[in-house]
Amino acid sequence: MTRPLLEVEDLAVEFDTHGGTVKAVRGVSFSLQEGQTLAVVGESGCGKSVCVQSLVGLIPMPPGRITKGSARLHGEEILGYETLGGKRVRGQMIGMIFQDPMTSLNPTMRIGDQIAEPLCLHRGMRRRDARKRAIELLELSQVAEATKRARQYPFEFSGGMLQRVMIACALACEPRILIADEPTTALDVTIQAQILSLMRDLQQERRMSLILITHDLGVVAQMADEVVVMYAGKVVETGSSDDIFYSSGHPYTQGLKSAMPQNQDRRAQRLEPIAGSPPDLFDPPQGCGYFDRCPQAMRVCEQHHPPDVALGKPLHRCACWLHDERASDDD
Amino acid sequence: MWRYTFKRLIQGIVTVWFIATATFFVMHFVPGDPLSDARATSEQIRKNLEARYGLDKPLAEQYYIYLKNIASGDLGISFTQQNREVNDIIREHFPVSAALGVLAVVFAALGGILWGALTALFRNRMPDIVIMFFVVLGVSVPSFVFAALGQLSLVTLNDWLGTSILPVAGWGSVQHLLVPSLVLGLGTMAFLTRLMRSSMLEVTGADYVRTARAKGLNATQIFIRHQLRNAILPVVTVLGPAIATITTGGFVVEIVFAIPGLGRFFVQSVQQLDYTVIMGTTVFYGGFLVFMVIAVDLVYGLIDPRVRVR
Repeated sequence: MTRPLLEVEDLAVEFDTHGGTVKAVRGVSFSLQEGQTLAVVGESGCGKSVCVQSLVGLIPMPPGRITKGSARLHGEEILGYETLGGKRVRGQMIGMIFQDPMTSLNPTMRIGDQIAEPLCLHRGMRRRDARKRAIELLELSQVAEATKRARQYPFEFSGGMLQRVMIACALACEPRILIADEPTTALDVTIQAQILSLMRDLQQERRMSLILITHDLGVVAQMADEVVVMYAGKVVETGSSDDIFYSSGHPYTQGLKSAMPQNQDRRAQRLEPIAGSPPDLFDPPQGCGYFDRCPQAMRVCEQHHPPDVALGKPLHRCACWLHDERASDDD
Repeated sequence: MWRYTFKRLIQGIVTVWFIATATFFVMHFVPGDPLSDARATSEQIRKNLEARYGLDKPLAEQYYIYLKNIASGDLGISFTQQNREVNDIIREHFPVSAALGVLAVVFAALGGILWGALTALFRNRMPDIVIMFFVVLGVSVPSFVFAALGQLSLVTLNDWLGTSILPVAGWGSVQHLLVPSLVLGLGTMAFLTRLMRSSMLEVTGADYVRTARAKGLNATQIFIRHQLRNAILPVVTVLGPAIATITTGGFVVEIVFAIPGLGRFFVQSVQQLDYTVIMGTTVFYGGFLVFMVIAVDLVYGLIDPRVRVR
């Protein structure tokens, strides 16, 4: 196994608010292989966006604060650094696209200029060359009539088209990693499928790695090589896409799966929601974060953090007492 | 674009007509007239004068004649200043007011944008608190107080330096213009600062600013390329009315600094019921302001592509 492109270790992020300190991310580790797609899954507020955005310094500081951990790209630390080997981390090494394309582009700037901007900045390209390149990038993102479109403004585009523009923007400087933070949540389903397949094509073409943040397991199944399941600011399970879907080890992952609609006879299947709500991250629980909602909770879960247990397959790991020999059923 | 401009101009002309009509009738309903002062005591003299100025005709006919004259650009002759055409008064004194007003608007707009942006960048820190303190002062203190303070500090400064670097009052050079226009623009500057501050804060949290950060731009680049233009939009919107406030508010400042602007005639004519001057200056000011508002609306399209008319 080769060295991962990106290694995140024990990352913790906190936010100071009026009500106290929110421990949004509480020691998260994962790694990303070259050319692979890693999906970060979890419900709203589980820290998945904060975790990934903090890697590239996108969370506002203050009130945000990275309290510990490290993130290494090509083996070199990037947390707290703007550049790596003379290249900017943000925009040049790592590109990003966001949830709502309608508001993620500057409303008073031409589309072409917004794509050309990082080229002028990081590559020192002249404006006219950068504009030409922007048109090529639009074509690459399958925007029709790119030359004409480059001269238009965001309000003249539809949501799906704007997400293509965002992709062109993020890929302008040929980053090694593309972070997509819920890229299809604001789009309707047909457009969603187009955007996903575009991202996958571009990823394969460029041998780029992709970090996909989503709460949509359907998207995960379609895109991901590896999956990180997060809950209450912690990673509860990691593994290949198959591990997560076919032999999920954590009760939360299992819960997510049974809450997902399947392509079967509707009358035969009832969706099972996960009862309750996530714990308060102002004062996170001492033991397992999922304790209150877990159908298989044991006494040990309340007081002690579950260990990270390897489950057979090489990458499959799960943080749950159920897989630890020390915890017996009668506990 | 041309169609839109044309439409706006027609609307503007209707507005000016409305102003002229309203002024005309309100003016005539006020008791007394320009001739009712001590000199015209004799009944016969009064009759003769009324006949000479056409004041004996029915009001409707006077109104008709008046409109015809305005349309042909003739604003008539002043009642109180002998043989002086209203056109001449405007020609002579408006450029003074305009220079003062334009400079005041420039001060107000630039100052408002600059201070507003600064307060937003240093939100809740010392520069923000200090500037916002002065903003509250600027909004609440009337301009004649600032005018007097401005003069006082100029006198003190000139006295201390032993030479006169900036004149305290009067008219004639660019130096005469600086302090009065600053004083005139202060209230509006304070108002625009508040507006700019809130719109900057709104823009700072916008998604496209995050995108700009994700592209790798630094804070200064983001500020200049992405935040400023979007934050200015609300400020530009109120610039039309702001120009109105400043130009009509110029009277007080003109009096305090002994500047021969149009504002004095505007106010004096009302006190003396000088019909032609009231009408002339009101219609002229009205037309000017309507035109400025249209101009601002057209300029707005240059900054914000979303409201650009095709």
